[in-house]
Amino acid sequence: MNQHNLQIEAQFRPEVLERVLRMTRHRGFRVDDMEMSTSADCQNLNIRVTVSSERPIQLLSNQLAKLMNVTRVEAHIMEQPLKKSA
Amino acid sequence: MNGAQYIVQTLKQQGVTQIFGYPGGAIMPLYDALYDGGVDHLLCRHEQAAALGAVGYARASGQVGVCMATSGPGATNLITGLADAMLDSIPVVAITGQVPMAAIGTDAFQEVDVLGMSLSCTKHSYLVENVEDLGDIIAEAFEVARSGRPGPVLIDVPKNIQVAPVEPRATVPCTTAPNTLDEAALAEAKALLAAARQPVLYVGGGVGMANAEAELRAFAEQSGIPAVTTLKGIGTLNPDHELFLGMLGMHGTKAANLAVQQSDLLMVVGARFDDRVTGKLDAFAVNARVIHLDKDAAEFGKVRHAHVGIDAELTEVLPRLTGERLAIDPWREQCRALKDEHQWRYDHPGEGIFAPLMLKQLSEALDDTAMVSCDVGQHQMWVAQHMRFTSPRNHLSSAGLGTMGFGLPAAIGAKLARPEHESVLVSGDGSFMMNVQELGTLKRAQLPVKMVLLDNQRLGMVRQWQELFFDGRFSETILTDNPDFVAMAAAFGIPGETITRKEQVQPAIARMLQSDTAYLLHVRISEEENVWPLVPPGVANDQMMESKA
Ligand SMILES: Cc1ncc(C[n+]2csc(CCOP(=O)(O)OP(=O)(O)O)c2C)c(N)n1
Repeated sequence: MNQHNLQIEAQFRPEVLERVLRMTRHRGFRVDDMEMSTSADCQNLNIRVTVSSERPIQLLSNQLAKLMNVTRVEAHIMEQPLKKSA
Repeated sequence: MNGAQYIVQTLKQQGVTQIFGYPGGAIMPLYDALYDGGVDHLLCRHEQAAALGAVGYARASGQVGVCMATSGPGATNLITGLADAMLDSIPVVAITGQVPMAAIGTDAFQEVDVLGMSLSCTKHSYLVENVEDLGDIIAEAFEVARSGRPGPVLIDVPKNIQVAPVEPRATVPCTTAPNTLDEAALAEAKALLAAARQPVLYVGGGVGMANAEAELRAFAEQSGIPAVTTLKGIGTLNPDHELFLGMLGMHGTKAANLAVQQSDLLMVVGARFDDRVTGKLDAFAVNARVIHLDKDAAEFGKVRHAHVGIDAELTEVLPRLTGERLAIDPWREQCRALKDEHQWRYDHPGEGIFAPLMLKQLSEALDDTAMVSCDVGQHQMWVAQHMRFTSPRNHLSSAGLGTMGFGLPAAIGAKLARPEHESVLVSGDGSFMMNVQELGTLKRAQLPVKMVLLDNQRLGMVRQWQELFFDGRFSETILTDNPDFVAMAAAFGIPGETITRKEQVQPAIARMLQSDTAYLLHVRISEEENVWPLVPPGVANDQMMESKA
């Protein structure tokens, strides 16, 4: 199980978080940790999510980057896994 | 002008001339605007068929297909058609009515969270919250549907937005920035091609979607690489070319699968390594390097590692790779020999009708412009194997989702898209019943769609798997209680006939094609016939099972 940090920037839409989480689950990634904040003008979202999976992270980051309201996706491997996988 | 009239106006600006749909409470303002709005609307008898009709229209024409439905059950009925469009990358825009904004989230009558429901089966979806946004949203939806990797887009429009007054304004033109070609990747691809001894060109539906058939054929011709296609790629390459080996995968030709398994380079164009294509993935073309060309970069490495992935318009990148005739004469010889050795055989004992031969005869009776839609099952694979297609727009088959009930609505959509060309449906007795109500639509629109119903009184493809892999335990696949199909068509005012013997085939096909109305040719075939060859589940593609006969 590899753990990765994803930094996702998106335009604010009421359903954009749902899109991101749905994609994450469906492509085979478990959300271990997550933070979200809205920009001061409420136009943009910053999502930081730690995910784990057997699958390569590009599988998810490439699909997330395709979402219409997502403007940027950056993936980093976690130096130290947060939690042991089950 | 109100929101609904604004929608119709914007659709017309997008060049829409045909819509498929079904009315209801939450979309009545839009239907009112359609009444004299100047866009043709076909009333289907089920929203699923409206969505699949739009898919057929889009596939046959290359335009965006448009469908609409009311909130709640209307919208949920559309979903299968959208999923079908998603998995086959078909550009479709669906417009659904929604309960008024104030009622959303109150469990109002016929309220369903369609946006939420659609997230997994559309490329994008919108809930319109301001009537002023309608024009831009529709324009953007069309661009999203047809650009990049095409797909379905849903626009959910609350009823209060449809009736709200609005001042129409010019929509902001929406364009996507073109990619620059990656020259380094291009050079690498050329080097791989030049070094290959046993390359195979593996062609998917993306080529047709990108209108790149001419460029692909030029590349294939110049390079002289033996070629195979996926189910959705059928028609893309010249079917008569000596180096065209047919479809690969589970029910592909033996020549195609053997060549791919032996290849040292796969040039994959607009395809995605579907599991029906690769069989056991670890054993798929194990010695082949991969050049992958696609408009969707997320496909690179998704299933199979690509040594070179080029994300570009195929019409641009293919000419850049065209030019050299590859020095692979022994391999060409080997592939020609494979093709010769594994020709289809049509000899078949007895009086009964052999579906593969009948479909070959049907194909020979049609001209190159004819569109053939099919449903899902054995007949679908026989169409892919035994009919001849010269354009991917002429073979309408639900490949990715495998949607039974696809055929009749798709054939209707295709006929509306290209009224000057023959639209033929090949269906199975199970699939036909899944959207049989569309016989009413056919009659209503007076569309001369020709229907060939291959009736084995079984859910044939499932029965075949039960026979081969479930010890012949035929659980719920026996349809000996089918209705009298010809009488049923007659009840909808559609003529037809039943045939049961080989010698009836040719004259019956001729009668059907001569008919100037819709026509049902009901063909009784043996329930025991299987589709061969077959790659069993979990096995490599060169381990095909074949007919014992
Ligand atoms: C909507 C839907 N339900 C179930 C299936 C599973 N399925 C695949 S093929 C098949 C049998 C099809 O039977 P029929 O249409 O009679 O065609 P045949 O295989 O006999 O040619 C079934 C049930 C499906 N593909 N789609």
